[in-house]
Amino acid sequence: MTLLQMKGITKRFGSLVANDGVSLSVNGGEIHAVMGENGAGKSTLMNILYGLLKPDAGEILIDGKAMDFSSPLGAIAAGVGMVHQTFRQFPNLTVWENLVFHNEPGNGPFVSADAARDFVRHLGKKHGLEIDPDSRVRDLAVGIRQRLEILKALSRQARILVLDEPTAVLTPQERDSLFAAMRHLAAQGMALVLVTHKIPEVVAVTDRITVMRDGRLSGTLITRETSEAEIIRAMIGRNVPPTVAPKMTPTAEPMLAVRNLSVRKGDIAVVDNVSFDVRPGEIVGIAGVSGNGQPQLISAVTGLEAATGEVVVAGRDVSGLSIAQRRSAGISYVPEDRHLTGTAPAASIAENIVFGRHRGAAASKRGFLRKEAIRAQARRLIEQFRVKAASEQVPVGSLSGGNMQKVVIAREIEHGAPLIVIEEPTRGVDVGAIEFIHKTLIAERDKGRAILVVSSDLTELLALSDRILVMFEGRINAGLTGSDMNENTIGTWMMGGVQGT
Amino acid sequence: MTAGSLDTKSRLAAILLSIAVAVVLGGCVVLSTGANPLSVYLEIVKGAFAGRGLAETLARCVPLVGMALAVAIALRAGLVNLGGDGQMLVGGLAAVLVALYLPVPGPARAALALIAAMGAGGLYAWIAAILQLGLAIPFLIASLLMSYIARGVTSYLVRYPLRDPATGMPETHRVLSSARLPNAILDLPISMGMVIMAVVAIAVIVNDRSGVNGFEWRITGLNPRFAQYSGTNLPRQTQRVAFLSGALAGLAGALLILGQQYRFTDGALLAPGYTWSGLMAAVLAMASPVATVVVSVFFAALQVGGFAMERTLGLPAVLTWVLQALIILCLAARPVLFRKRRT
Repeated sequence: MTLLQMKGITKRFGSLVANDGVSLSVNGGEIHAVMGENGAGKSTLMNILYGLLKPDAGEILIDGKAMDFSSPLGAIAAGVGMVHQTFRQFPNLTVWENLVFHNEPGNGPFVSADAARDFVRHLGKKHGLEIDPDSRVRDLAVGIRQRLEILKALSRQARILVLDEPTAVLTPQERDSLFAAMRHLAAQGMALVLVTHKIPEVVAVTDRITVMRDGRLSGTLITRETSEAEIIRAMIGRNVPPTVAPKMTPTAEPMLAVRNLSVRKGDIAVVDNVSFDVRPGEIVGIAGVSGNGQPQLISAVTGLEAATGEVVVAGRDVSGLSIAQRRSAGISYVPEDRHLTGTAPAASIAENIVFGRHRGAAASKRGFLRKEAIRAQARRLIEQFRVKAASEQVPVGSLSGGNMQKVVIAREIEHGAPLIVIEEPTRGVDVGAIEFIHKTLIAERDKGRAILVVSSDLTELLALSDRILVMFEGRINAGLTGSDMNENTIGTWMMGGVQGT
Repeated sequence: MTAGSLDTKSRLAAILLSIAVAVVLGGCVVLSTGANPLSVYLEIVKGAFAGRGLAETLARCVPLVGMALAVAIALRAGLVNLGGDGQMLVGGLAAVLVALYLPVPGPARAALALIAAMGAGGLYAWIAAILQLGLAIPFLIASLLMSYIARGVTSYLVRYPLRDPATGMPETHRVLSSARLPNAILDLPISMGMVIMAVVAIAVIVNDRSGVNGFEWRITGLNPRFAQYSGTNLPRQTQRVAFLSGALAGLAGALLILGQQYRFTDGALLAPGYTWSGLMAAVLAMASPVATVVVSVFFAALQVGGFAMERTLGLPAVLTWVLQALIILCLAARPVLFRKRRT
């Protein structure tokens, strides 16, 4: 029984066709994946379904009835629920307050807290998504907050539930329990749409797959009858061999030595007495559920955040030094967020590439910029890193996520520093660029650079790292190598490591 | 090398469109008083450029360009300097003190007075920067409120200790003619103030386009986190930019005193509202130095033309302020309402 049907959806933004005659049909009781690279049009399609965008052509049918959503309210009323990547919650309120907001049970102007609590418990039990109604949302783990987000959709009688990249922030165990909940919901006859670009998840949990490429439908596959290779081919139009790093164990003196590093926020040590080494020719990965101190650790190493303890780069103690001094001592750094930290999006590619080194002899002379040299360098790097850009003069913010990331990585590698610190190397980056970035990092490692990677994507860490350190509540509670580097073991340590798997 | 000339072009188109809309709306205002808008605009143009008008416009450009650039260089680096009034006052006061009392020959007094004015204006703005860095008082607020302190203190000084008892006004003695800035160089209607301001404007423009510092400031303005991450020392840069911005405002005050007013009269520096015209010009130009200079000259002409129009037609010159404000409003307007309805 087809619950949701989208037919011939077309949406243009100026000259860009974001959706070109896309069709999608999802049955009740089915988990349906929508896959595609960044910019393939997944988000546009989902925003149209949720009433955030109006299609230029095409129609949406729910239970066979044509719908015309002018806003998300219309979509919600028709039974569409959406779980966004970033949660729309009040962190300072309790679970029940969040859940009944705008739909409060009670008499007259008074909210009945008891009725609301019962409602939360009942709903949770019915769908296998129990949460304590009285906990504060800010105290909950990400997986539980996501559960609340799903409950919110269910409390509004959603029959079609869209989950947008729901596993990006979860541990493997949390992910598995999400999948269990999804199967449970499907068994009750709901239609679930899973938007993702992670192939293993799609294989694990879905029934059918709709693959998009360049705004068009490039295939509808039945999960049981397809293969990873076929999905990849549909996504990017060619085969991509998986990147595998040959593991090795270098013995040289550490390029980065961190000793007893701590970062305090008020009374809490967000980084708590951390020590580790990264040697030349080695990629060390840092795993952990978000919120366990990874960004603060990196900020402390690179100098953006004040810390106690020792950071030694290439034999030199840089603990007391400024960011600029640490950079010249040998740190390159690719930050987590390329829009907020990694670039000035409104400035040109060339300006973004030279900035930080603009006082050097290659880029300036007697206080004036050598513009031609700067542009030539940018053109060379655009070519070398295969950045798709009209010229080196376009604003870097106009590039796609993958190309922007390549610009940042190109700049940091070009610095020639012996230590590269890189956060989320491929977040929000398309499959083709992921492959390129991984190969580049491995090539740099093989040239003898020391690389420290933080990533919330375990697959990526496993593909890149020679060693993996797991952070939990500000401490490094495990250093894993060899056969210990697998999802299960890492996941257990990410949860604190006590309970066995 | 900047983010593409296309942006500049569409910006220019937007400015021209705003001016056109403002002229039409201003015309409606004129019409409502029963006067003829065409003759009003004609008188404004004639007043700004014909005969003595041109010299007056150029003279008015000196402080206006100065105050506009003071705002622009700070804005470019992400600082909003609303304290131009105060910085101009302390600059003017420093200039008049040196020009009146320093025992050196006249021309040297003038030169040292300019330097003192820049130092004083710069330091005054630097204090506001320190308040931001040390006590987390936003620079915008600190610089604005410090203007009131400067106003009160300079007013007291020229009313009591520094007052020239020969005049009935709250003002200092007159600066000796040897310590004044020449109003005509080589018998041309070009004053020393114009030359100095032109040099300053060129320096600001060149630094913005090709200077290492200008590049750093511009990137900081676009994304301070990125600048910091790349190794820029933000606190030091904030202090420097604030100092330079204040120094420019102080210089504008000194050029007015040594080139046009010859004494510090309470209220005379602030009455024409150069700070706010300059602020509008810099905002309208989105802090691009070239555009800031162009817009400042335009505003100077508009104001001078307005006074001429007032003399000939008897309509109040504040109309030109209405026009200035309308231009900014048109430029700031975005069709939000319509966009919301569509989706």
